[in-house]
Amino acid sequence: MSTEADTGTSRTGTTSSASSVNPDSVRAVARKDFRDSIRSWVFWTLSFLFFMLLVGTTGLLSYFGSDIAAQGQTTEALVGMVQSMTSLIIPLIALVLGWKSIAGERQSGSLKILLSLPHSRKDVLLGKLIGRSAVLSVSLITGFVLAAAVVAALLGSFDVADYVGLLAVSILYGVAYTSLAVSLSSVTRSTTIAGAAMFGIFMLFYAVWNGLLTAFWMLMNLDYIPQNETTAQIALLFNSLSLNSAYQNVLSLVTSMGGFTDQTEMVLEGMFGSVPFYLQDWFSLIILLAWIVIPIGIALFRFDRVDL
Amino acid sequence: MPALRVDELTKSYGQTLALDTLSFEVHEGEVFGFLGPNGAGKSTTINVVLDFIRPTAGRVEVLGLDAQAHSREIRSRTGVLPEGYQVYDRLTARQHLEFAIESKGSDDEPEALLERVGLTDAIDRKAGGYSKGMAQRLMLAMALVGEPDLLILDEPSTGLDPNGAREMREIVREENDRGATVFFSSHSMEQVEAVCDRVGILQDGQMVAVDSVEGLRDSIGGGTSLRVTVDRVDDDALQAVRSLPAVSNVAVENRDPPTITAQVDGSKTAVLAELEDHGVEVRDFSTTEASLEDVFQSYTTGAEVTAR
Repeated sequence: MSTEADTGTSRTGTTSSASSVNPDSVRAVARKDFRDSIRSWVFWTLSFLFFMLLVGTTGLLSYFGSDIAAQGQTTEALVGMVQSMTSLIIPLIALVLGWKSIAGERQSGSLKILLSLPHSRKDVLLGKLIGRSAVLSVSLITGFVLAAAVVAALLGSFDVADYVGLLAVSILYGVAYTSLAVSLSSVTRSTTIAGAAMFGIFMLFYAVWNGLLTAFWMLMNLDYIPQNETTAQIALLFNSLSLNSAYQNVLSLVTSMGGFTDQTEMVLEGMFGSVPFYLQDWFSLIILLAWIVIPIGIALFRFDRVDL
Repeated sequence: MPALRVDELTKSYGQTLALDTLSFEVHEGEVFGFLGPNGAGKSTTINVVLDFIRPTAGRVEVLGLDAQAHSREIRSRTGVLPEGYQVYDRLTARQHLEFAIESKGSDDEPEALLERVGLTDAIDRKAGGYSKGMAQRLMLAMALVGEPDLLILDEPSTGLDPNGAREMREIVREENDRGATVFFSSHSMEQVEAVCDRVGILQDGQMVAVDSVEGLRDSIGGGTSLRVTVDRVDDDALQAVRSLPAVSNVAVENRDPPTITAQVDGSKTAVLAELEDHGVEVRDFSTTEASLEDVFQSYTTGAEVTAR
């Protein structure tokens, strides 16, 4: 007992502030959350979903896409088609998985169990984010790995870099939506409001963001907004800040697909002198990471200051 | 150094004052009963002690440490049985305890802890199917992890049958013998009087009495209630009884035969002798001690204590 108690006190002794982050605590919370939040069938259903998505798309490609195959761009085409579907499916899964993460525990009172133990509120938030992200990421990995053999067999040519690139970027995309879900779940007391917030997030990226952009272009075409370099830059920048655009654009960084054609690049250079930084693929990676870091950062700050 | 020091603690929610400059101390090594009706502010106090909520004014020190600044260290040395919690449905009792053991960095065995609280049979069953009493036993076992210096038990008898409540009190005594300070909240005097060294009575966010169990009994002046059945009531005799030292609340119940009631702190025979000296025939008499429940009632409802 004594040795364990000593390590216990020395561990807490080094972290003088009550609101600090302790990696051991984060790991304990994440592990518990992973075990508690997931029924095993959820995990296998998700893995199977991603598996079927890949295998099904590959099947369609090999059946109808003889032209694509002839050009040797099959993995590239697969990545593009799968991305357009995961772009919708991953947010739905992440928001559903993260929805109740904090609000649910707060409402039921099980948060009291977590916080009666020597975990800081920051530990709990980070542990939750990691736990829920792990559920989604592990099922993505399982689905992708299991599908790899089938995809390679069906496609004939198989570009490992493209395939792994899509998986990696999809995981980041999923973590970003999980970060949004866990963070919003932590700022509300009721699961009902948290659920509404999840719906709001989904609408933000699927309707509001594009709607605003469309409205902006329309007003520009109708001359309510002046058509010049600045306004065009604003619109393009706004577009590239969206989480969903970032997911799409960042693919060109890690896979052979996407990116600008020489023609687009020339147009952009003609317009702005050079390709603006926010249209370059490294910037979309930063945006993707920002959508992970900023929501949880705000939540970490806020969650420390409220009465539970 | 007191195990718990609450100093001028105030907590208000808008217009509602939950705690009103509450001050008290719990000595190291004692079992302190924190008593009050539902809504008196017991849970609010415990929530501040555990840093679940922040005080409007005043401060709390636990084990010599500031409750807010050193919450993590406090919780690493404290075992908590919270009130209004919900266990993790999909985790077994063993997994709950493993989580607590990992969180506290102790080397306890889940089996041994569950043996102590009488939950060995359900060790590998998911807690979702537990009764309230079983959940309460599980939480008590979690509170015992790591031999804490301070045990905070918020309404620990909730959901326990009389036998379970007795076992729980036995564990409180064992823990106290080991050297732990126990802070035990309850809305029922019955639960605390058997096990507590001192009792504090909370009413409307203020401490209305803090004393040992005996001191509380004495302070209320309840003493012994004497009922004497007589053949007739004589004013002179009553006057004589009233003038006796240590006799109060002399009253007459006019029935057939009439009965005289009085609160007596000293000799009961003096009362009987006085009556007989005045020619009143004593036909029967009985005595009752004021129960602590009555004492509690008198503090929390303002009713006068009379032993029944």
